[in-house]
Amino acid sequence: MGSMWRNQGDGTAFAGMMRHRLNLLFLLPALAGCNALPRDASGATERIEHSGEMRIAVLPGTPDAAPALALLHAYAAQHDARLAMVAVHGEHAPHWLEDGKVDAIVGHFAKASPWQAHISLSKPVARAEPKNSKQPVLRIARRNGENAFILATDRAVAETAE
Amino acid sequence: MSLHGGIPRAIAADVKRGERLEYWTLGWMVSVVLVMWLVMGSSQAMKAAVIEDLLSLVPAIVFLLSVHWERRRPNRRFPFGYRRANSLAFLVAATALLSVGGFLAYESVTTLIRQEHPTVGGITLFGHTIWLGWLMIAALAYSVVPPIILGHMKQPVAERIRDKVLHTDALMQKADWQTGLAGIAGIIGIGLGWWWADATAALFISLSIAKDAIGALEKAVSELLDGTPRALDSNRLSDDAERLIAALKARFENADVRLRETGRYIAAEVDCAPPKDIPTANELMGDDLAWRLASLSFRPEPADAGP
Repeated sequence: MGSMWRNQGDGTAFAGMMRHRLNLLFLLPALAGCNALPRDASGATERIEHSGEMRIAVLPGTPDAAPALALLHAYAAQHDARLAMVAVHGEHAPHWLEDGKVDAIVGHFAKASPWQAHISLSKPVARAEPKNSKQPVLRIARRNGENAFILATDRAVAETAE
Repeated sequence: MSLHGGIPRAIAADVKRGERLEYWTLGWMVSVVLVMWLVMGSSQAMKAAVIEDLLSLVPAIVFLLSVHWERRRPNRRFPFGYRRANSLAFLVAATALLSVGGFLAYESVTTLIRQEHPTVGGITLFGHTIWLGWLMIAALAYSVVPPIILGHMKQPVAERIRDKVLHTDALMQKADWQTGLAGIAGIIGIGLGWWWADATAALFISLSIAKDAIGALEKAVSELLDGTPRALDSNRLSDDAERLIAALKARFENADVRLRETGRYIAAEVDCAPPKDIPTANELMGDDLAWRLASLSFRPEPADAGP
């Protein structure tokens, strides 16, 4: 692998930087503790810490949102932040999440949701996974790639299931 | 062994060894596919790796099929036997290798263009939720081991029995372990928040795979077009073919010599009238490679030849 980066990467400063970073990949597991990974691709957690607020959209027709909001509130509190509720039309909400305009959506989604590839859906909150994969249940939708936030909420959701 | 069927005794043991290695390959790679499938979650990169591993079974399967057909005797419908099944298998194996490279390149480029941020979340096992990336890395590390060992073992056998399918399969194993390492780098990159790392690593690997595959395809097409036998590892003429041409030219007053390859066997044609003493395969190829020369033919006396 190393020689491959060398062959392909000579020439530009950008390629040199990429090569350096990619070579580092093999050393990092040894250097970083297991808890250091993963990080957010777009820095959601850092933004929440800096701004002191976590932007949440609750989809219309979600009367049972409370357990999911409690879970997100606990996460925000850990990072010295508060929940900021964002009013958004249901149809726009997943797009806003994709664009990073909100940090999470609370709403009813099916396991086989058409949004599945575009946003990261948690397991059902405070209930077991229904047998019918098309049945919408309470879930937290996160922005794809925000893996630290996704893992933290996955852990919290798993605790509510217990 | 008959003229156009069966495996020569000189390479029978190595061909058997090649078959055993391929059965081991199928067993190990199926276990790799299962392990990867269990941990792939919704990761597109892992799905691509599973598809790549499934495609990598193709050369092993076509090698086993071609050896099976090679053993069959010629018959009235196929008087030249089934040895060209090996040439056909070589084309299929090379195409499978190219498909793997092409698929990987397509996935990588589309991910980079769309700027897709791969999601790898948590998985709950025995009451603990851990990052799925660690399991993916473990599965990918497992996926790297069998191809390295099996590919290393296949290479010398492929050279001894002059089998391009087995050689291509060794290249496929190289593609497998390189893709596995790229996958590990990619998952760690995802963990570090570098969304582009996975696709970039895979793109570099796909270029290397495609280069090997295009080389193999060139040779497969040459063989099917009755080209002069090529070396296993490049498109240049093979050393034994060069030596055979030189030996025949020296023996038959610089007559035109044409060689072609059917599977692992060479057929030679000398453009002169049949001599009284026809040389043996051992004289022309040496004892070790005598089995390679399946036939030696001469031009019949022209009808209008004068006294």
